[in-house]
Amino acid sequence: MLIICGTIPLEDMPLTFGRVRADGDSFIVGDRQVPCTQGTGAMIRAALSAADYLKTDPPHALLAGDIGLGTGSREIYEYLIQNIAGIRPDVLALHYWLPDMPLTRRLCAAVDGCAERPVMIADAASMYSAKAAGLATAFDVFTPDASELAFLADPAATHPAYIKKHLFNIEGNRTPELIRAAYQNGSAAKLLLVKGAVDYVVKDGNILETVAEPDVPAMEAIGGTGDTISGLIAAFVDAGIDPAPSAMLAARANRAAGQRARATPATKISRIIEFFPDVFKENLCQWTGVCVVEGENDD
Amino acid sequence: MKFIKRKNKDFEGEGLILFREVSDAMKAERVLKKAGYRVQLVAPPPELRKGCDLAVAVKLVEKLGIERTLQRNTTGFVEMVPLNFDSPEILNIVKVTDFGEWVMVKAANMKLTFEKRSGIIVNVSGGGCPDIPYMHASMIDKKLQEAPHPDDLGYTLCALMLERAMEEGLALYEKGGAAC
Repeated sequence: MLIICGTIPLEDMPLTFGRVRADGDSFIVGDRQVPCTQGTGAMIRAALSAADYLKTDPPHALLAGDIGLGTGSREIYEYLIQNIAGIRPDVLALHYWLPDMPLTRRLCAAVDGCAERPVMIADAASMYSAKAAGLATAFDVFTPDASELAFLADPAATHPAYIKKHLFNIEGNRTPELIRAAYQNGSAAKLLLVKGAVDYVVKDGNILETVAEPDVPAMEAIGGTGDTISGLIAAFVDAGIDPAPSAMLAARANRAAGQRARATPATKISRIIEFFPDVFKENLCQWTGVCVVEGENDD
Repeated sequence: MKFIKRKNKDFEGEGLILFREVSDAMKAERVLKKAGYRVQLVAPPPELRKGCDLAVAVKLVEKLGIERTLQRNTTGFVEMVPLNFDSPEILNIVKVTDFGEWVMVKAANMKLTFEKRSGIIVNVSGGGCPDIPYMHASMIDKKLQEAPHPDDLGYTLCALMLERAMEEGLALYEKGGAAC
């Protein structure tokens, strides 16, 4: 079971846990329709698209409405802390929420108490709180962009807004240097997918692979393109693919979908997600040997 | 790509105003600057941090007037204390990327992209705190001059960075897309 946890920008949405199903370019959890917009909505919709293609179980989502005050975020933390051992997910993917270091410590302690430890993936502010709490190494996958990598590389920073200027104000490619610093600080997960003009797949400090093609520079401007990468990784890992090849696949698929969508800086994330099924159909088998035969496992 | 580097203001605040909420600190900074004080948003002491916290560095000599200003504007704060630690500054560098018809402005982890001709915000990306998807939904497809400001809608440091990106975007647009 894959659980994706995060906040949704709907003030009246209560804490909701359940299996996700598609509803056009939105999705439904419990009895709530959730729009596929930047943030956890885009992450879940991308994961759902991958699970649908791979014919694996659709993800579960643990969501709560929160527009920044943190109430919904704390409900998610507390639900996980109280219930994670009983739910026993295979993959736990944490995403948008108000970062809270004490609650992150309690959550990691609860995960330590699970009979079988889930694969732990963090992006967005759940990655911020994991790093700031000194618990980055308890996670299996982080998916930072360039500024977030600088945040991981800065041992003192508790938020990307506080990173030292020399780490942010970089010209030329210093990504490998920042990757080394992040691992030396103990501020990196076991695997990093560093998103940028060139994507880096890094395991235990070693750069395994870079992905630079197709080059679609507009993707950086589109809100949600990092979220979809995280959703794809989570779904691929849940399908039994190791985190490193999952990260490589996610990076390639995201770029290919952007290219097919002819993405401009004004493109919306839902438009990119529309193209994932075609991208998977055309490329996944060739990229990985993970091949889905039409009609197979269709119940 | 063009880089815009802001010079640090020559400011040494030896006092610190502590807040329970990031939104209170952001409001206090705005209120105090409007009243003419030189202040600076900084990280609070580690033992008081929860994750996305902010404090306001001030000149202690102005303590009475600052506290009165905050109280008059019903800006809640915990206390004002001497600043005796090495507090990092909020990142104050903005980067601009020219995409032809569009311009992307980046402040720390936040990016705002608008159409040069119309000033319409076409995308907001980056960040990770829960007010960002809310602001994304509230700001997209609105003109820069008419869109709600992140420092009005938001509560977190991500919102603060997005506000800085928006201010830079507005300045660029009003100059006729200078960097564009």
